[in-house]
Amino acid sequence: MKVKKLFGTLIFMLLCITLARSQEKTITGTIIDQTGIPLPGVNIVVDGTTNGTQSDFDGNYSIEASIGQTLVYTYLGQRPARRLVGAQSVIDIQMEEDAQALEEVVVTALGIKREKQALGYAVASVSSEQLEEKAEGDLGRVLIGKASGVNITQQSGLSGSGTNIIIRGYSSFSQSNQPLFIVDGVPFNGDTNASGRQGSRQDFINGNNGSSRFLDLDPNSIESVNVLKGLAASTLYGSLGRNGVILITTKAGAGGQGAKKTEITVNSSLFFNEIASTPEYQNQYGNGFDQSFGWFFSNWGPSFDRGGVSGWGNSTAFDSNGTLPHPYSTSAAGQQAFPEFAGARYEWRPYDSFGDFFKTGTVTNLSINATGSSDDGKISYNANYGHLKDIGFTPGNSLNRNNFGIGGRAVLSNKFTVTGALNFARTKFMSPPVALSQGNGATGSGSSVFGDLFFTPRSIDVLGLPFQSPIDGRSIYYRDGNDIQHPLWTANNAGTEQETNRVFGNMGIQYQFNDNLNLIYRVGIDVYSENNLNFQNKGGINGNVPQPRLASGIYETWNNTNTIWDHNLAINGDYDITEKVGTTFNVGVNGRREVFDQQGVASDAQQVFDVLRHFNFLNQNEIQQTSQRNLVGFYGQLEFDYDNYLYVTLAGRNDWVSNLSTANRSLFYPSASISFVPTKAFDGLKSENVLNYLKIRAGYGTSAGFPDANSDNFPVSNRLVLDTQDFQDPTGTNVVTNTSPLTLGNPNLKPEQVSEIELGVETRWWDGRITLDASVYERTTTDLIVQQPLDPSSGFFQTNTNVGEIKGEGVEIDLGLNFFRSQEEGGFNWNTNVNFTANESEVIDLGQETDLIVYSGFGNLGNAAIEGQPLGVIYGTRILRDANGQFVVNSIGDFVQDPQDGVIGDPNPDFVANINNTFSYKNFSFGFQFNWTQGGDVWSSTISTLLGRGLIVETLDRENTFVLPGVQSDGRVNDVQINNSDYFFNNILGNISELQVFDATVLRLQEVTLGYSLPKKFLEDTPFGALSFTVSGFNLWYDAINTPNGANFDPNTSGTGVGNGFGFDFLNGPSSRRYGFSVKATF
Amino acid sequence: MTKKDRKMKIRSKHIAMSLFTGLLMMTSCEVTELDITNDPNFLTPDLAAPDFFITSIQEDFARQLDGDVSGDPNDNFVTGGFQFGDGLSPLGMELTRVMQMSSRDYESTYQDSDVDDEWDNAYRGILFDIRLMTPLAEEAGQTRHLGIAQFIEAYTISSLVDFFGDIPYTEAVQAPEIVNATLDSGASVYEAALALLDQAIINFTNTASTNPPVELFYGNDYTKWVKAANTLKMKLYLQTRLVDPGAIDAFNAIVNSGDYITDTADDFDFVWPGTSAAQPDNRHPRYGLNYVSNGPGDYASNWLMNKMQTTNDPRIRYYFYRQTNEVPGQEIPADEQTLRCSLQTPPLHYTTGGFTFCNLPNGYWGRDHGDDEGAPPDGPKRTTWGVYPAGGRFDDDSFSPVSQPTDPLSNGGLGAGITPILNAFMVDFWKAEIELAQGNAGLAQGFLEAGITKQIAKARSFVSVDPNADLSFEPLSSDVTDFINGVVADFGSATGDDQWNILAESYFVAHYGNGIETYNFYRRTGFPNSLQPNRELDPGSFPRSMFYPNQAVTSNSNITQKANLAVQVFWDNNPAGPSFPNSN
Repeated sequence: MKVKKLFGTLIFMLLCITLARSQEKTITGTIIDQTGIPLPGVNIVVDGTTNGTQSDFDGNYSIEASIGQTLVYTYLGQRPARRLVGAQSVIDIQMEEDAQALEEVVVTALGIKREKQALGYAVASVSSEQLEEKAEGDLGRVLIGKASGVNITQQSGLSGSGTNIIIRGYSSFSQSNQPLFIVDGVPFNGDTNASGRQGSRQDFINGNNGSSRFLDLDPNSIESVNVLKGLAASTLYGSLGRNGVILITTKAGAGGQGAKKTEITVNSSLFFNEIASTPEYQNQYGNGFDQSFGWFFSNWGPSFDRGGVSGWGNSTAFDSNGTLPHPYSTSAAGQQAFPEFAGARYEWRPYDSFGDFFKTGTVTNLSINATGSSDDGKISYNANYGHLKDIGFTPGNSLNRNNFGIGGRAVLSNKFTVTGALNFARTKFMSPPVALSQGNGATGSGSSVFGDLFFTPRSIDVLGLPFQSPIDGRSIYYRDGNDIQHPLWTANNAGTEQETNRVFGNMGIQYQFNDNLNLIYRVGIDVYSENNLNFQNKGGINGNVPQPRLASGIYETWNNTNTIWDHNLAINGDYDITEKVGTTFNVGVNGRREVFDQQGVASDAQQVFDVLRHFNFLNQNEIQQTSQRNLVGFYGQLEFDYDNYLYVTLAGRNDWVSNLSTANRSLFYPSASISFVPTKAFDGLKSENVLNYLKIRAGYGTSAGFPDANSDNFPVSNRLVLDTQDFQDPTGTNVVTNTSPLTLGNPNLKPEQVSEIELGVETRWWDGRITLDASVYERTTTDLIVQQPLDPSSGFFQTNTNVGEIKGEGVEIDLGLNFFRSQEEGGFNWNTNVNFTANESEVIDLGQETDLIVYSGFGNLGNAAIEGQPLGVIYGTRILRDANGQFVVNSIGDFVQDPQDGVIGDPNPDFVANINNTFSYKNFSFGFQFNWTQGGDVWSSTISTLLGRGLIVETLDRENTFVLPGVQSDGRVNDVQINNSDYFFNNILGNISELQVFDATVLRLQEVTLGYSLPKKFLEDTPFGALSFTVSGFNLWYDAINTPNGANFDPNTSGTGVGNGFGFDFLNGPSSRRYGFSVKATF
Repeated sequence: MTKKDRKMKIRSKHIAMSLFTGLLMMTSCEVTELDITNDPNFLTPDLAAPDFFITSIQEDFARQLDGDVSGDPNDNFVTGGFQFGDGLSPLGMELTRVMQMSSRDYESTYQDSDVDDEWDNAYRGILFDIRLMTPLAEEAGQTRHLGIAQFIEAYTISSLVDFFGDIPYTEAVQAPEIVNATLDSGASVYEAALALLDQAIINFTNTASTNPPVELFYGNDYTKWVKAANTLKMKLYLQTRLVDPGAIDAFNAIVNSGDYITDTADDFDFVWPGTSAAQPDNRHPRYGLNYVSNGPGDYASNWLMNKMQTTNDPRIRYYFYRQTNEVPGQEIPADEQTLRCSLQTPPLHYTTGGFTFCNLPNGYWGRDHGDDEGAPPDGPKRTTWGVYPAGGRFDDDSFSPVSQPTDPLSNGGLGAGITPILNAFMVDFWKAEIELAQGNAGLAQGFLEAGITKQIAKARSFVSVDPNADLSFEPLSSDVTDFINGVVADFGSATGDDQWNILAESYFVAHYGNGIETYNFYRRTGFPNSLQPNRELDPGSFPRSMFYPNQAVTSNSNITQKANLAVQVFWDNNPAGPSFPNSN
């Protein structure tokens, strides 16, 4: 239909062309919107002709027309305006906003642009304004709260740490749940790579300090982000799109469409970055236990006051001035390293060691974007550069990034259109090690800068105690046995680095057969080379389990090269069947190759202190991992529309994958969706002041999960382990061994299947003052690919198999309220946008042989899949209950642990809501975003450590006793009194994980922005087209209301790293607060 | 055809060509290769070698008994859980006060997840590798490989029965055909073990094509292997003496053959080379866990140290290394900081029973059974493992912290210790037990003397692993003789339970380093009745077996968890707990 019209006008134009020319004159003018701001890009057409133009950046236009002709002005979201050409040669226009006409065109799967009203599924769009000038360089974090249904968690507040993105909840527990990133139409790897030579099994325990690779994108260089949430939306991407798709158009990829004038935009900002989660430490009591002094890990010692029952005056450890022998004068290690402390005294007072350890970091950001096109608009280009330097608040943490991008498009005379974009990113991330900690240094084979810091007793002067032995460089600290690694030693002698060079881009060639049919071929490449370093000088200490390798000094370097080749060949057609029925179709083939290659060397036994090169280490071991997977898919999509109010889309794709056996490697997944617009179908339904627009949509989609690196890239293969360093014989010669592998290959493994039904409504009321976009969905995953634990008595530890079923359902609501819409320029406007997400999941079936699968964390503390429970419940140790459900308490008054572990929490939040407010008045704009996460549990080491070690204000009341609720083993009500430290240390921080679970409800002021743009008239004689200033803050305030206030805990952390685990904090996630200033200038 | 048309046609041809080329590029290149199922990061099973398997089986067997230190990814153990370190032997030692146990509650402490890795190592690490090696070794005529594997399998499955009761065996390690193996009765597994040993003996004596290139026990001396196999059979017979009337005769039949371990020189031990601390770590695991710069992780058992100190046991300086000679509440004032209990009053059941509480004199800094306090800054103070069996330091009154970076001498024997498995002295103790059980106290006395004598000599010989020890602190041989004579005389003059107590205490002290033997003995006999009780008055019934591992219960539909730890294994027909064993 459109095509026919076009064709018609084309002929008409040809006929008229000579006729029209003789009476022409030039009309000029300026177009502004209802608030008086110039509108660039307004289409101006001489009615009935194809003679048209666009307004420039300043809203000016110029067009040839004849008297008596009519000029038609159209612009997205504005009411079309018509003006008869008379004698005048200047026509200025003020356009009016048209709520009814806000029919956006959105980019859908494979870059196909469609009217939003035609879509039978939900798509969320985030524009460049919402991405620019942010204090976070991580696209994932910038997107927090911007779209419903998208849940984003940071690994920690460290600059450059990983970010977890989950769309519409978890639908699998062994396959990746991270969305597919598509940049300029081609896949982009957003993985967070497993770190180190032990791979992912030990990853989060030993500290995966790695970035999520979408960090390589500069948010300032992005034109728009569309989020395809459901399966009906992402069918064309096949199995890759099953977790939703983040569809990114970069400015380079957009190729400078639109504006004709060459335009340069410069963004520059400076932000400050500081720790937001500083606990409210108490300053009344110091190091010790039971109110008496000792160089403990804990802070249950005497008061800093001399008098009173708990005063230091009662202790013989102090002299009359309240000083102690300096710890380095009493410990053997201290004396050896620092003989100057012999006889020194140590002042008994609170030290702000925690506060002094951190500093305020700075984030500077510069982005330059140039865009332009040829006069005829057929050739356009964009070039951009971005630089980010983000210094974290933790010593040794920084992120540095340089981005270059260039792209363009050319419409050639011979029906070919060529597009291309090429981006280069160089990202360097540095951080001290952050291994898992449960409140007493690091567990596992890494160090933790936070693990040794958070529990620091108040009387310990971290910054005042020298940390490094001048003799051999080893860590020295306050304990007699020197069994804690000094946090400053960690910051100065251990670290991780990731330096990534990445090239990604695409080249497309389109051939237009005729107006109805084109053929497009696009090839995309995404290659990164991630150079990793993990090191620690010799002389470190692990107080939990001896780590002789770590203590001897380690130096590990490895390179991850990840390559994605993506080819896509498609035929797109657009035909009208009748006057009212139109159809479009897309048929194509897609081939994708993913290769991950890891190569490196892990050295240990450092010889000369602080020389960090492999030659300086005695032992070298290999690091090598390779995986590859190919995927070929044929797809097709067919869309019908009827009279612009009913749209039906049918799509399907068949994928073939390379890592399953022949019989199981192919899967077809269809989808169907329908969109119905009653306000267009029924006359009279639509009115200006009541209902403006109503659309009802429904979609059904299916997809598959093929085995990926997250579970096992080669699940079919039969393996045998060969180890050249398993043991040494008495002569010190390595003994080579063969042993059976952990995983049983399963040739019968099939792809996992997902299906989803989605219903939605989109509507606008009261002249567009109220907008609502709501969806409900139900998603079912069957034939789950499960890394099923096997009883080792079978001979294997696990196998990959298909079992069971998970169901997830959810609601997403986006509500827009325009409280004030001033009719005048510079008037007061207030717009509120609320997005709300609730998602519930349930494990319906796990197969006959398995009761539960703990798939993340530890076997006795992790996320579990248990039939009838929400996916991901926290499984761990519990308090023993008697037959009546009462807690059982032992004879010294502490809880007894149940020998059987069980469910101790549910980390799934009840709902997440974001409230965005924007106000504008004159040249000022003001906005803030609140985030409210209701419910969901977190197992928190941070809170339990701060309580258990007597550090925060909640532990101030020390002279009273506690009686735990419960019964003694003989059934009588417990009446054993315990003291404060027994309560908090033995119980809250003790072995029973149930006591360390807290409600993670959090209210957060996510973002505040105050902007001022210079009035046009001030810029008249300057090279600036526009100039604006913004002051903004991020994560300025939060309160996890049901956690102890003094802990100041931020639940936005993922202790198990980026993956399928959630709801854990292992003292690895201090939170960051950022605020600063930015300038944007257009030339 | 006009010129223009021709041009068009040529152009279309070009287009068609380029599209075709594009398609061809896509289809012919790597992208469309769909057979990539093999994992390049591993060998494929057809490349297996029996020589490589047998070394893995030997190492995993040693680790089955004594675990490993830091969860080396090449081994089947992960860190964590209640037990500090891993392996069956420390588990048994903790329960029998040979090592300290730090929990007030048996049931909630010995959790199912704590024994996951011992189970995994046994089946996947040992038995499955044996199954994979067997056809290859059979084909190659490598009968010695087979014999060693059969011996190790027999020991492994019988000790699994000792700790877990009924276990999967006939259906075990048969994936993918069987992944949910059913349980075999403990008695039938014992029978299978005996049958395996008979085959092993054949394989030690027939003609073999080649010997294993690495044989870590006897250096390919197969007459010793035969003795070890017979000795293991004796151990199994002894173990079933309560439930099998023929067991003692079978035991004696081997005694009469004389073809078993009678001389310490033939002892079946795993010798930890102690040549490397990492990549790989081949030190004695207890050494690795305790000889660290920030101090030992274990506490020594106050019961054992007190026993040895009060009886002038000449082994004490070999077993224990004191880092200090002053203990709060003894030589120095009580100290809340380093020894909290030195300011506490003992619980009533300690005072009424006359047990030592909290601290011992002369620098023996350990902990009571069930003391679950957090760790104070006492790393440089705790008494730790000596030169036997862990390969640490000989206690020569140097009273200095172990493993100080500034003092290379503080590392002692670098972990070149042993895991004692089947020893000549053990056989003497078994004989003593059998005679005493049959009422032949006189014969028992002789075997007791022989056992103690051999074991003391063995322990003393280990002083040589610590190159820097001041040997003038070694006990005189007269001290040794006096001690042995004293024990023997006490035994002779004692009656009834007291005789059992003396035998049992001697047994426990001698088996330092092998908790499988002490745990089994304690459940067989119920003695000694003089063990220090748990700090908690009611710690629950003494574990008569372990829970089935968590992974087995949750993944194997044919295994359901036991009701509690009081479930007895097939050879234990003694009374139910908590009245048995005597000291709980």
